[in-house]
Amino acid sequence: MQIVEKSAEGLSRVYGVTFAASLIATRTDAKIAELAPQLNIKGFRKGKVPVVHVKRMYGKSIMGDVVNELVQEGVEGAMTSNGVRAASQPDVTNLGKLAEVMDGKADLTFDVELDIMPDFTPADIQALSVTRPVAEATDAEIDEALAEIAKQSPSYEAKKGKAADGDAVVCNFVGKINGVEFDGGKADGSTVVLGSNTYIPGFEEQLVGVKAGDEKVLNVTFPAEYGVPSLAGQAATFDVTVVEVKKPVETKIDDELAKNLGLSDLATLKEAIKKNIEDQFAALSRQKAKRSLLDALDATHSFDLPPKMLAAEFDAIWAQVTQDKAAGNEDPEDAGKSEDELKADYMKIAERRVRLGLVLAELGRVNGVEVKDEEVARAIQAEAARFPGQERQVYEFFQKNPNAVASLRAPLYEEKVVDFVLQMAKVEDVKVSRAELESEDEVAPAADAKPAKKAPAKAKAKKEAAPAEEAPVEAAAEEKPAPKKKAPAKKKAD
Amino acid sequence: MALSERHYDTILAPWITEKGTLLSEVNQVIFQVPLTATKPEIKEAVEALFKVKVKAVNTIRVQGKTKRFKGVLGKRNDFKKAIITLADGETIDVTTGL
Repeated sequence: MQIVEKSAEGLSRVYGVTFAASLIATRTDAKIAELAPQLNIKGFRKGKVPVVHVKRMYGKSIMGDVVNELVQEGVEGAMTSNGVRAASQPDVTNLGKLAEVMDGKADLTFDVELDIMPDFTPADIQALSVTRPVAEATDAEIDEALAEIAKQSPSYEAKKGKAADGDAVVCNFVGKINGVEFDGGKADGSTVVLGSNTYIPGFEEQLVGVKAGDEKVLNVTFPAEYGVPSLAGQAATFDVTVVEVKKPVETKIDDELAKNLGLSDLATLKEAIKKNIEDQFAALSRQKAKRSLLDALDATHSFDLPPKMLAAEFDAIWAQVTQDKAAGNEDPEDAGKSEDELKADYMKIAERRVRLGLVLAELGRVNGVEVKDEEVARAIQAEAARFPGQERQVYEFFQKNPNAVASLRAPLYEEKVVDFVLQMAKVEDVKVSRAELESEDEVAPAADAKPAKKAPAKAKAKKEAAPAEEAPVEAAAEEKPAPKKKAPAKKKAD
Repeated sequence: MALSERHYDTILAPWITEKGTLLSEVNQVIFQVPLTATKPEIKEAVEALFKVKVKAVNTIRVQGKTKRFKGVLGKRNDFKKAIITLADGETIDVTTGL
């Protein structure tokens, strides 16, 4: 095998690979010799087919296999012997005259075109400084949440006198149509909240003014579109015995409330609320820290990007943009810009994504970050849980589609790398208020989505930045450690 | 000899077996031919179809085996094999077909 570097421009490389015809012949013969003892052909005892005959019968197809193998070998050889790592699926072009190669007359020659991984050293992650906004749940916030909960679980206390609108009436009732009881029309001790419109029209209204111990016959008509067809539109009577009339009282925030919610006392309820709020905060601050980290990484790295990767990324973004436009969801910031301007803008975004993807992948590779099988399994479970009733199909889908699994693996990988880097980097915790933490980055994302050199006035990237940023980075991240998975991961990107 | 349809009817198929391939070492080829084909006809057909010179033709009538299916006797078809000896230096590649 001879490998010549035919051209090296930026990150693109073209290697010419040549295999001698004799090599192909010996490989083919070896393969046939290996095959012959197992062949079972009609007219021959098993394994007794003469090699010559096998060669005559299957020589061509075996040779085809050999050529395929050699092309593979050549591609790998071209990369290893030149010590480069591919950033794109290598393209095999200029395959010499195959017919002649098959006849054993010509050498097998072809070119391998590929983008190589840019050679860069990832920044010292320990030197990175990342700001992480953190917020603490204040008592005021907890109280607010408590009040919200209290409002949602109103309580009533017994009152004497007539029921008014808004009161609750505890009653037993028997429903009849033409004097005959119907199914489901009977209940004992059910609580009817007057004015809540949970019962059929007329029912609650006629209960206004009843007292405990009253008996009353209500005449109502089921609405025409009632859920039970046999009752819909029917006139019915309900014999109601009122057991108790209750009036609403403001729910007190006390142990009783906590007990109603299944907790032991108020303190634990507060604790639970606090934890809940802080979890939300933690997720938010992690998200912000990640963004800040990505910014830092983007700022500290500058190197040439593999053109093919960049093009693929840009195409994905551009397809999304044109699709949005066709659907009438054009980003208002984009309106009034010429297509060229837009393309330039989105190119910047694509560059940033590809760069970050490469950096993250490199960091992960250098530091040995790996996604374990259990983690993937857990992700699949989570995915299956999203389709209740179809879990089995989901599992089967993932079993049959390694691509789909790869697309789950990619985000996991990215998260792990980010976690790892966040551990190593200097993380500066900045106390902020809740509002600041939750503010959806009016200023930050613009800078975030665009490389620093970009004019900061264009906040347009906002929309683009938040949702879209994640995926491609992951895709790229996955790409490098396992170049073969490239295609599936890429697909995921859009 | 001009090629004609008759020639195609005379040669049915190459007889590719262990023994058949072994014979190629002594410059012989085996074909399956119709029961009615005669040696001169076979010679003519081979020479016309494969453009080779035939030295000799030997034929064998192979009797079909009697087989029993659910106790009922049956018989496989008889057939005829022709062993062609080619003149020195001539070859036929039986695997490529016509």
